[in-house]
Amino acid sequence: MIEFAEVSKRYPNGQEALKRVTFELADGEMAFLTGHSGAGKSTLLKLICLMERATSGQVVVNNKNLNRTSKRNIPSVRRNIGMIFQDHRLLFDRSVFDNVALPLIIAGYPHREIGRRVRAALDKVGLLSKEKHTPIMLSGGEQQRVGIARAVVNKPPLLLADEPTGNLDPELSSEIMKLFEQFNQVGVSLLIASHDLSLIAQMHYRTLVMKEGQLVSDQIEATTDNEAVSYE
Amino acid sequence: MSNEQPTGASLSQGATIGARLNMLTHLHKLEARRGIAEIFNNPVSNFMTILVIAIALALPAGLQILLDNSKSLSESWDGASRISLYLKTDLKENRLYSLADEIRQQNDVAKVDVITQKQALDDFKQRSGFADALSQLDSNPLPPVLVIQPSPSHSTPQASELMLAEFDRIPEVDIAQLDLDWVRKLYAIIQLAEKAASALGIALGLAVLLIVGNTIRLSVQNRREEIEVVKLVGATDGFIRRPFLYTGLWYGLFAGITCWLILNISLLWLQESVANLAGLYQSQFSLSGLGAIQSLQLILISCGLGLLGSWLSVGRHIRQIEPR
Repeated sequence: MIEFAEVSKRYPNGQEALKRVTFELADGEMAFLTGHSGAGKSTLLKLICLMERATSGQVVVNNKNLNRTSKRNIPSVRRNIGMIFQDHRLLFDRSVFDNVALPLIIAGYPHREIGRRVRAALDKVGLLSKEKHTPIMLSGGEQQRVGIARAVVNKPPLLLADEPTGNLDPELSSEIMKLFEQFNQVGVSLLIASHDLSLIAQMHYRTLVMKEGQLVSDQIEATTDNEAVSYE
Repeated sequence: MSNEQPTGASLSQGATIGARLNMLTHLHKLEARRGIAEIFNNPVSNFMTILVIAIALALPAGLQILLDNSKSLSESWDGASRISLYLKTDLKENRLYSLADEIRQQNDVAKVDVITQKQALDDFKQRSGFADALSQLDSNPLPPVLVIQPSPSHSTPQASELMLAEFDRIPEVDIAQLDLDWVRKLYAIIQLAEKAASALGIALGLAVLLIVGNTIRLSVQNRREEIEVVKLVGATDGFIRRPFLYTGLWYGLFAGITCWLILNISLLWLQESVANLAGLYQSQFSLSGLGAIQSLQLILISCGLGLLGSWLSVGRHIRQIEPR
């Protein structure tokens, strides 16, 4: 699903965010991406959804070489990726339903199908009763679930999450993680950036550890609950 | 979601072209409505914008209306190029009438009006307001006049001038004058004014483009966050552009209607003074306003400028916004 080959990213200000990163995420695989803030997690995710371009190396997503994707084709790449953000990135002047419907409207789905799919996605995250609310009326955990519903509503084969539980308490966080596991069980590939090591440790999934722009560890399970160990 | 295989975001299967088309019209309705809502969300500043655009359009349009009116006025006189023969003041009254009869016999003359010295003086007294002063005069200084209307076949400027030369040779004629002269001068002035109006129209049209473009630029900047989100979930620039184009179109439409109102109210306001002035010249002339076609043209041009202005602005500014 995702292939990075010797990928480096240097920002115009000279900061080297990624250094020769190589890894592969198989179809239907779920993995965590962890490391200190500034280690390059966000940059890595941004390269996958073409918010940034690699300075060197190859990024292949869903069998498409992103190095050769023209600006015009960026939207079609993004439509195949569901993205979940720490700050949710919801539109606060529109209802929950309209927020979730956004990817479908953009892709030109017929009206009736939009209603069906949005309600299915909201049902999945347990917010069907709040479709007419605006996001401002919801709690942080609920807002994040609206963000997740929006990410999955058009059934993308790949989900990217950038600190999805960053602002949530442990109980809500594990609820969100359970949702991700359910998506994974139906074949969706997931890459979740998080620095919540205790949560990652409970989950027993592949974990990519980044440090100063390099991939320093790639294990199936996080080692211990001791956060310091896997970083150093 | 759980019992279906993830299929990616390829367009849904089974959606007919008809359903897609339905969705597209539905979307356009939605965006058109959102464009209007955008304007009504901030009524005061948007109304000002609309008013500015309307005034910018009203100036050249109003000038055009005035020019059209003066043109129709001069054209109606152009056909009736009259020749006035100012006769010698010592002419006897019976000779005056016989001369008029002689001229009437000519086949290139349609009509001859006789204005005797007394009539001329009475008329002058009535209109000039110098009645008291004139009554002090011992003799009438005004000449008798023959007003000659050439027959339609001889009313072209060239033919009129030939006739004028002929009349000038009649011994009783003091001065022969063609009333066409000043019409020609007026016509030349109108042509000049028309060019000025076109230049003004172009300049103010550009101003409208800039006003709309700038307003749309602000609106794009205000919705920066929303645009970023929509880009992140895969919206094309075209999709993002559409609601802004609608906003521009609405600006144009509202400004066009406002401009039409401004013009009609101004014309109404001028109408009385014009009628008064025309009355002084013994004319039935009245200002003609915007006809149905001209009104439609005005509103279409306004809509077009609104759309073009937002189109020129929105593409550039949307491209600058990339999600971070």
